[in-house]
Amino acid sequence: MAIDIDNLSVRLGRNQVLHKVCLSVKPGTVTAIVGPNGSGKTTFLKAVSGDLPFEGDVKVNGETLRYMPPWQAAAHRAVLPQASSLSFPYTVREVVKLGLLGGRSGATPAEEKRLPEKALERVDLSGFAGRFYQELSGGEQQRVQLARVLCQVWLPVLDGRPRYLLLDEPVSSLDIKHQLIIMNIAQTFAASGGGVLAVLHDLNLTARFADQVAMMHRGRLVASGTPNEVFNDELVSDVFECRIQVGVPPAENRPYVLPQSAQISVKSSF
Amino acid sequence: MALRDNVASVSGWRWRAEADGDRSARARAIILGLVLLYLLLFLTSLGSGASDTSFWSVFSGWLGGGTDSLPLRDRVVIWDIRLPRVVLGSLIGASLAVSGAVMQGLFRNPLADPGIVGVGPGAGLGAITVIVLGNTVLEPVIGIFGIYALPLAAFFGGIVSTLLLYRVATRRGQTSIATMLLAGIALGALAGALSGILVYAADDQELRDLTFWGLGSLAGASWAKIWAAGPIILAALAAAPFLARGLDAMVLGEASANHLGIRVQRVKNCAILTVAAATGASVAVAGGIGFVGIVVPHLLRLTIGPEHRYLLPASALLGACLLLVSDATSRMVVAPAELPIGIVTATLGAPFFLWILLRQRGLLDL
Repeated sequence: MAIDIDNLSVRLGRNQVLHKVCLSVKPGTVTAIVGPNGSGKTTFLKAVSGDLPFEGDVKVNGETLRYMPPWQAAAHRAVLPQASSLSFPYTVREVVKLGLLGGRSGATPAEEKRLPEKALERVDLSGFAGRFYQELSGGEQQRVQLARVLCQVWLPVLDGRPRYLLLDEPVSSLDIKHQLIIMNIAQTFAASGGGVLAVLHDLNLTARFADQVAMMHRGRLVASGTPNEVFNDELVSDVFECRIQVGVPPAENRPYVLPQSAQISVKSSF
Repeated sequence: MALRDNVASVSGWRWRAEADGDRSARARAIILGLVLLYLLLFLTSLGSGASDTSFWSVFSGWLGGGTDSLPLRDRVVIWDIRLPRVVLGSLIGASLAVSGAVMQGLFRNPLADPGIVGVGPGAGLGAITVIVLGNTVLEPVIGIFGIYALPLAAFFGGIVSTLLLYRVATRRGQTSIATMLLAGIALGALAGALSGILVYAADDQELRDLTFWGLGSLAGASWAKIWAAGPIILAALAAAPFLARGLDAMVLGEASANHLGIRVQRVKNCAILTVAAATGASVAVAGGIGFVGIVVPHLLRLTIGPEHRYLLPASALLGACLLLVSDATSRMVVAPAELPIGIVTATLGAPFFLWILLRQRGLLDL
């Protein structure tokens, strides 16, 4: 049981944007995809979500994604996109309730009635149910969407099968408190038997919360493993094209990267 | 926070959502209210008209043993003149409003309307072709279909232009709203030009038919027209509720709808077919009746919210009510003559819509 990604390649027009990526997202773990802008992180997540045609094979809990009808895939995984705008005046509750559309949340019908409120509470938005989605700030909208995604796979394990959260930059417009809240949700989901695959930009959050790091560079997976294995000076400096020193405090034993330790190597062309 | 409060008080003109954001109870209450309003309008329309056959004589006639007990003249007025008109008006009002709501859900844009984005003109072109060429070039073909030729032609005109529009505006599963509107305008212009060629070739009687047809009218309502257009419209209306779930999911975009477990392509196909069928049939029997498809869903979204399982039935009801009121108005204003109903809906609808836009200015991005 896992999401097994085997030799995944994606072409957009003439450009090959992903080259034979192999990765396994195991239940019980948080896997973070990191890499510079344009390295193919989002494309990778979209392909695994089933949004893009791809070569290679993706198996979700042993079943081939390509032959899976949408309703079946929806029972296995929920996807948080980067940004969602709505053109109609939906209330926050109505947006969160969309997550229950497929009817495979795993909660009992009685529980399901209160599920939007519960999910909003988890993302620290209690009391926002009656507000209009369009009136919220970007960070609040992002958390509403996460609440919707949580509703879809409320139980991390359903019928003995693990379920997965695919998150594209879930903390990109959040303040530090809510970054921690959201990453805690991901960690709890994994600890309860589900799997999480998230695109992250913050290397320190990644180091703190990820069990597995997949580092991408120019459409290829250049390293995967625990944060300690992947975050070394040479690799991080190469991939992000600036000199970076990774520090490791003895107590936490999780690596960190300070902007003070990074230097951009500007090519002096003038 | 101050800014937020400010926005809330400015937007206080529209109905606020309940504190818990659940508007389903209100939606059900309003739908029930619309059912009652519709029944009232139905009976009132049946009892009012150019002749003095009144509401009460209809009503007491029914109570006292069905329409058979009415005088023959009243029976003819009710059964052959007013009832077809009321039934047809209801069908067309419901069909226009539901088409608008579905189209707006499909394109995720509250301005999408079969009339504005070229579907209406496409259906119109089909109908004009039959009116002008039906007696000459196309006679052998038209002869086969009889009275069904006009609605069928409008139906296919509607389908073809809807498909063209969707093809042009959609790329890699993403529909571009700007492209859609521009393509709709282009398609409307093209259909208009082709109609122009036919108008150029038309004789005086055909011209008169065309002009009145273009303004929209329920004046020619008859059971034959109902049998021609009714089944298509009813089928489209019956299909609409099955689209509700998919359209709700599509509001987040096609990719997210797919993630939620919706067969997006199937929803798109059904929605396109529904809109083309309903618009095609309506335009064929009643001509161009504008603004129902935009005003009705927009108004309802402000009161009961945009969830399609309530929006679609409520649109059908309010659309039917609006058309019955407009029809009554069109008969009263210049009685005993009558105005084409398209003039009435546009005269009432357009200023009202402008007013909504003014009130909403700067608050919510359309």
